[in-house]
Amino acid sequence: MSPQIETPSSSPSLMEHAGYLAAPGAHLYTVLHRVADPVCRVLLVGPFASERQNSYLPWVRWARYLAARNVEVLRYDYRGVGESGGLFEEATFSDWRDDVEFLAQWLANRTPSVPLVLHGLEIGALFAADSFERGVADALLLWSPPDNANQALRSTLQRWVGLQQLLTATDERKTASDYIRQQEQGIPVEVEGYQWTTKHWQESFNWALPSNVLPGGQHRKSARPVQIVKLPKQAAPLVKGGFVGYDEVKDFEWLFAGNADWIETEVLNCRKTQCDEASI
Amino acid sequence: MKQAFENRELITLECQGLPICGTVHHARTSTVDGDKGKRLGIVFLNSLTLPRAATGDSAVYWSDALAASGYPVFRVDLPGLGDSDGNLPAEILDYINSGGFASAAAALTAEIVRRFELSGVILAGHCAGSVSALFAVPQCSECRGVILLDPYFHLPRAIRPKVRQWLSEWVLRSATGRIVSNIYDQLRKIRLSLGGERLPENANSALIRIWSRIAPTGLPILFLKAPSRKAVGTKPRQGEFDYFRYVLKAAGRKHRVTVEVVEGTDHSFANRHGRDVVRQHMEMWLNKHFPTGQQVSRGDDKETRQSGAYAAEVGVGVGSSA
Repeated sequence: MSPQIETPSSSPSLMEHAGYLAAPGAHLYTVLHRVADPVCRVLLVGPFASERQNSYLPWVRWARYLAARNVEVLRYDYRGVGESGGLFEEATFSDWRDDVEFLAQWLANRTPSVPLVLHGLEIGALFAADSFERGVADALLLWSPPDNANQALRSTLQRWVGLQQLLTATDERKTASDYIRQQEQGIPVEVEGYQWTTKHWQESFNWALPSNVLPGGQHRKSARPVQIVKLPKQAAPLVKGGFVGYDEVKDFEWLFAGNADWIETEVLNCRKTQCDEASI
Repeated sequence: MKQAFENRELITLECQGLPICGTVHHARTSTVDGDKGKRLGIVFLNSLTLPRAATGDSAVYWSDALAASGYPVFRVDLPGLGDSDGNLPAEILDYINSGGFASAAAALTAEIVRRFELSGVILAGHCAGSVSALFAVPQCSECRGVILLDPYFHLPRAIRPKVRQWLSEWVLRSATGRIVSNIYDQLRKIRLSLGGERLPENANSALIRIWSRIAPTGLPILFLKAPSRKAVGTKPRQGEFDYFRYVLKAAGRKHRVTVEVVEGTDHSFANRHGRDVVRQHMEMWLNKHFPTGQQVSRGDDKETRQSGAYAAEVGVGVGSSA
């Protein structure tokens, strides 16, 4: 009998509720990991487009891990991706960021007194950070944010091109540079079933991590805590580096425990600071 | 939160005491299966550890398209996969290849048939999902047919040694590597010819036994093959055992196995051309074996990723019915 990777969701006290939320222009597929009396709420801004399929299992497990520690979690699919409605090729980076704010608002409205944390992964980290910069949420946790969205798209493209080359005769092989030139000439490129438009490509250069959330930035000195974690290769498939469509189910306790501790600690500090400010 | 939009609805099923998540794409027409006045449903199973939308959301696309053709389509996350509850074995590939999901798939199918009052189901799966579908057939009395997307009949190694991975990359990138690769293929071909029709050691014997039980019964099976490196049509790469030929022979004379090779795509069938050709093959095959008897009326919802817009751009790939 092979060892099993256990998920805390088996606990009857935990409840997961899937549904569609009607954001402007698209129905967003969401899963709420409900808990009875949450210490805080976390909006998970997850893996983007083709990264979703590879990272889905550990991402769901992370949501369940937090829920088991009395943190209410909302995770969702980007518009045009997975179970959500909408067309990927018609969505813009601003749409995807606006969806973060729409969902954060929805989650915050459930119990406004409970602190809200935004947690983003890779490109999702850029959307979370941008929303945080615009005043959304009480804390921000980022896993492996790229310098900008274009950097993340390029690494996805390079991996996909590598796989395509396996099937293509040597003289017909196209390199990542060929596809980038194609994008720059206004011809869309289809990567693992998602059509990247020239608009996506051009927009991606403008989506970078706000300087305020970087070490030494303004938010670092304020009451709103920020944590940036660069995930190591062993965190694949949450980060690129593993075998695509990986076939081993990993235990992520080493990653989850410390990050859940950070959320709990910072949220408690955040609450304390708010109380102190209120009493002054 | 809403449970449905357009023709999609989220469902929770119970399987082996666990809540199982799924999405149903309700049929857009009022067509019925001629036999019993009930509809025939299509159930998509997960491929390996992928969530129920599959690579590039191709399963969502196929489900929308087949629902538009009059078949209710169900995409479910098997226990421990996607959004469904349950624990998974660490060696998930071995688990699937030994039929680990068969009983869960059969139980889910039975519940779907009961709850949605279907006349039966077509089990569909891609890659490891097709292995689960085949294993489930003998346990699934409601199964009327099977759609297999690039199935495999051997036992692949879950994790390739690093040296092997490095060699594969070297072969792809270097001219010398390609020569070495060709010599290697020839040596394997010689070794293979010495073995005759004998199955290789890494054959999935349990799966082939299942196939040999169900295919000769005349169960309609659609077998869609993706292109692979150094392979032509249904023929494998030189030096590799021809599983396709073997299983077709094992299917006997009364088989109803339809084989189509889909060119211009990869193993996932997720690019627009691939998924559209797959859709066309599925529709033609369903129409042949399970006609709905009414004119198909396609939906034109902006929000669903219905791809009628590019359906006209592509043609059907190399087709060959066995």
